Amino acid sequence: MEKMTSVGTVSGRTMFCLLDAPANAISVCRDATQVVVAGRNIFKIFALEEEGFVERLNLRVGRKPSLNFSCADVMWHQADESLLATAATNGAVVTWNLLRPCRNKQEHLFAEHKRTVNKVCFHPSEAHMLLSGSQDGFMKYFDLRKKESVSTFSGQSESVRDVQFSTKDFFTFAASFENGNVQLWDIRRPDRYERMFTAHTGPVFCCDWHPEDRGWLATGGRDKMVKVWDMTTNRAKEIYCVQTIASVARVKWRPERRWHLATCSMMVDHNIYVWDVRRPYIPFATFEEHKDVATGIVWRNQHDPDVLLSGSKDSTLYQHMFNDATRPEVRANPEGLSFGLFGDLAFAAKESLMAAEGGRKPCPGGDRRYPFFFVKRHDVMERFAQVSSVLSVFESDPDSGTRMDWFIETARRYQLSGRPFGELCDHNAKVAKELNRPQVSTTWTMLRIMYSDTGHPTPPANHNMSKLGNVPLMNSFNLKDMTAALNERNKENRSDNLETNLNNDENEETEGSDGQAEYLFGEAELDDDDLYSMEHDNQAAEEAEFSLPQEAFPLRHEIVEHATAPEPPAEKAESPQASGGEAESVCLTPMESFSLISVSQLLFQPRLPPGFFNAIVKDALAYYAEQGDVQMAVSALVVLGERIRKEVDELTQEHWYMSYIDLLQRFELWNVSNQVIKLSTCSAITCLNQASTTLHINCSNCKRPMSNKGWICDRYVHTHTHTHFDFQVWISMVGIA
Amino acid sequence: MFVAKSIAADHKDLIHDVSYDFHGRRMATCSSDQSVKVWDKSDSGEWHCTASWKTHSGSVWRVTWAHPEFGQVLASCSFDRTAAVWEEIVGESNDKQRGLSHWIKRTTLVDSRTSVTDVKFAPKHMGLVLATCSADGVVRIYEAPDVMNLSQWSLQHEISCKLSCSCISWNPSSSRAHAPMIAVGSDDSNVTYTGKVQIYEYNENTRKYAKAETLMTVTDPVHDIAFAPNLGRSFHVLAIATKDVRIFKLVPLRRESSTSSGPTKFEVQLMAQFDSHNSQVWRVSWNITSTLLASSGDDGCVRLWKANYMDNWKCTGVLRGDGSPVNSSSVSAAGLNAAVPSGAQNSGMGAVSAGRKKTQLMPG
Repeated sequence: MEKMTSVGTVSGRTMFCLLDAPANAISVCRDATQVVVAGRNIFKIFALEEEGFVERLNLRVGRKPSLNFSCADVMWHQADESLLATAATNGAVVTWNLLRPCRNKQEHLFAEHKRTVNKVCFHPSEAHMLLSGSQDGFMKYFDLRKKESVSTFSGQSESVRDVQFSTKDFFTFAASFENGNVQLWDIRRPDRYERMFTAHTGPVFCCDWHPEDRGWLATGGRDKMVKVWDMTTNRAKEIYCVQTIASVARVKWRPERRWHLATCSMMVDHNIYVWDVRRPYIPFATFEEHKDVATGIVWRNQHDPDVLLSGSKDSTLYQHMFNDATRPEVRANPEGLSFGLFGDLAFAAKESLMAAEGGRKPCPGGDRRYPFFFVKRHDVMERFAQVSSVLSVFESDPDSGTRMDWFIETARRYQLSGRPFGELCDHNAKVAKELNRPQVSTTWTMLRIMYSDTGHPTPPANHNMSKLGNVPLMNSFNLKDMTAALNERNKENRSDNLETNLNNDENEETEGSDGQAEYLFGEAELDDDDLYSMEHDNQAAEEAEFSLPQEAFPLRHEIVEHATAPEPPAEKAESPQASGGEAESVCLTPMESFSLISVSQLLFQPRLPPGFFNAIVKDALAYYAEQGDVQMAVSALVVLGERIRKEVDELTQEHWYMSYIDLLQRFELWNVSNQVIKLSTCSAITCLNQASTTLHINCSNCKRPMSNKGWICDRYVHTHTHTHFDFQVWISMVGIA
Repeated sequence: MFVAKSIAADHKDLIHDVSYDFHGRRMATCSSDQSVKVWDKSDSGEWHCTASWKTHSGSVWRVTWAHPEFGQVLASCSFDRTAAVWEEIVGESNDKQRGLSHWIKRTTLVDSRTSVTDVKFAPKHMGLVLATCSADGVVRIYEAPDVMNLSQWSLQHEISCKLSCSCISWNPSSSRAHAPMIAVGSDDSNVTYTGKVQIYEYNENTRKYAKAETLMTVTDPVHDIAFAPNLGRSFHVLAIATKDVRIFKLVPLRRESSTSSGPTKFEVQLMAQFDSHNSQVWRVSWNITSTLLASSGDDGCVRLWKANYMDNWKCTGVLRGDGSPVNSSSVSAAGLNAAVPSGAQNSGMGAVSAGRKKTQLMPG
């Protein structure tokens, strides 16, 4: 523990010594060189040396020490260094004279209280006067020159927990009671208290007069509060209230620091806290050394704010140096930051941080060049009292990429089923393009090319046909997008460059068909030509990018004609049971309308195996998922259906579906979410539906989910039921587990 | 890029945490003033405080929302050594008319003996599970066996991390391939204790959480930690707020046999490390698609980080704490400061010009 090793700037260091028994109370003599520790089974005096505690005297003598040695409290006289008083658990008030020559230093014994004495207190300026407060409800005032108490004060209420002479008024003392009251007494008038007020709910365990602001009284209670009262006014006025985390056993004002006080707790909490009463929420400093509750705390010197002594139930006596204290405020997070669903950012920060930022640019190297505590300490000292945070929400511009509108729009407008594959792709490509997401748009278009055309035995001999088939496609995207997309792929494939890959594919394809289809040698060449011409077209398209409409409407009928072909696979996406060679079915339909050449083509394998692009597409989908666009991954998965389903392992698919569904539900796109669940070919997802049924109800007025019970919207306090049943009801089957 | 709206939070002390709900329409703040406030966004986009109540008898460090499937539920944790679960209930209608809602405490989790520094609900698919971590280095995982009864939580796991814990993050992945996983950050100021980030994984066979990974390179106090939303990735991305911002990638290594009972081994890559805040970084937060990371530091600024198509993380924006956005020139300057670790897989892609429009590079 670094705390232990570091040395304070003030002379002295954090140190401790082990005691034979748990301490109940401690007290220092006036010159702060010695400390007395008292407890049920301990009564010792230690000298505070530079190196550590040195035991000076054991006051607990005799073979079988009497109960008089069992102390609940101890106090060292602040004027007479040889005089001590203890409160015994058997009800005795005992004084001790250290100058007595024999081993037993006991001087006086007042056995007047009937129950445990909780507190003894010397008068701060009268040499011989001692006050006690007991569990029996009485306070007694002793003159040490007499054998009996000179006066008895009856609180007329429960046990007395603490008595403290006022530092301001010679005759006044405060007493705190177990019933929550605090009484002020004039020492000359034992018949009746001067003033009484209820300070806490539950027992008031301690009180302490402020050393400077002499009208201030701090009280601590079982209600975990420390309250500061201004006693100068007619009615005691609560001016500060500190809420601690456990019942407050002791409270002691810190010397030379007007707003500071130290507390320790009666149970649970073993720490000693120093609070700035102006900032009652977070301790100014914490001493965390004790392993059990501290029972006695005292500032070593009346004018030194840096050294605190404490005795504890853990049988240790500590000297704490303030420099070694932990500062909860320093560790406390001064900022909060959270991204909202829609890309807005909530940010809360300590005011001073922002002020500092506005004034200076953070210099390179920053504050870290200085020792952490130096900067912080300065900060803490200056600003501790007035701290607050500024809360702001950064809302992203509608046109900035951080906003999630694109997601919602895309989810709403994408078509995942119900139309032929090519149309779905085109539609989705169009949607993506309109939402200014060219890469996604391109991907859709490429998917379409890959799966409806390459698998398609476009009769190479029929030049017109291939032209017609390709041109409209190429029109719908441009080369720039394509290369961008390809580069994307590149990156994701890391090693292999798709652009070349693609070219290679084309080459391989021709080579491959060489072997497989010798008869078509010439046609293969033509095919190559075709490829080049495609690129030509493409370049033309690129040049004309802005003049050409995105949809080649004049050619629309061509698409429609094509469309009859891919329909079966699209349907298959919905019904995974349906099986059959996809390529076959794709190949089949064109036959109907095409010439004999096409038919002869059918005798041979199509130019590409049906799953030729699967690996690439699979990687592409995974790439999209990795990049946070699981929407694309799932949408493509649904649209492609059987074409790709087998390629992506079940777990991954399930993960994608789950993620996308979760996102859709976040955006309250219940219908889309339901559709995706329905369309999913993933057994785990459809299985979900059987787990349980959740009824999501949205208010038709404000579109908010009606999370609460009943047909009452959070916002509008009217029920909609009798007006009309136009709630958006979405019943989904969402597994809870 | 961003429009800043200042909200009069009216907390009496520091705000330590801000948290959006699942649907992004509600927000909760917590403060040292021992209170939690709930903010609702009106249709006009304004935020209104609809509830404010005293939650703890100490600083409230964190507040977090449960999945709405479990109701409108919040959890908070505090210096007072407790964590609490709160539920919004439909009160009397006159409450409603004042635009206020009523939150009642469902449970207090009192197991910690020191300050509870973070509290997080587990991903929904795990059920109603809550994790807390405390300054004495213990992570506790609670479960409400009956999701309808928020007042009954049983302590399922206690993980001892040895170091004082400051933050936790659940791996949000819903994939069955990924076992439940929780990352823990420590703000222990002693730099000789290395590995301030530990990752624990649930083991189905032993039914215990076991340490899967320790990020030994993180030696400075960690203030915040956040797994990126995992929308269908095979790997995990973890952002860490320490003296700088770090982004780690955890790639699960294939297990030889499914019967091996040990925790998953990961290949850990440092994807990015930025010290642009020039000071302690306090918070990191991911956007929903995990394409954008926001960080905030002692410089009072929020910085936004984004990876380009080459997994090259760059600063794309600096937002002043007072709401004034910093113009783009300083943004790019800040971006240049970004320390890109060698070994990031970004070689051989010089052909792609850096000036490409961002919309083209990234979805979102």
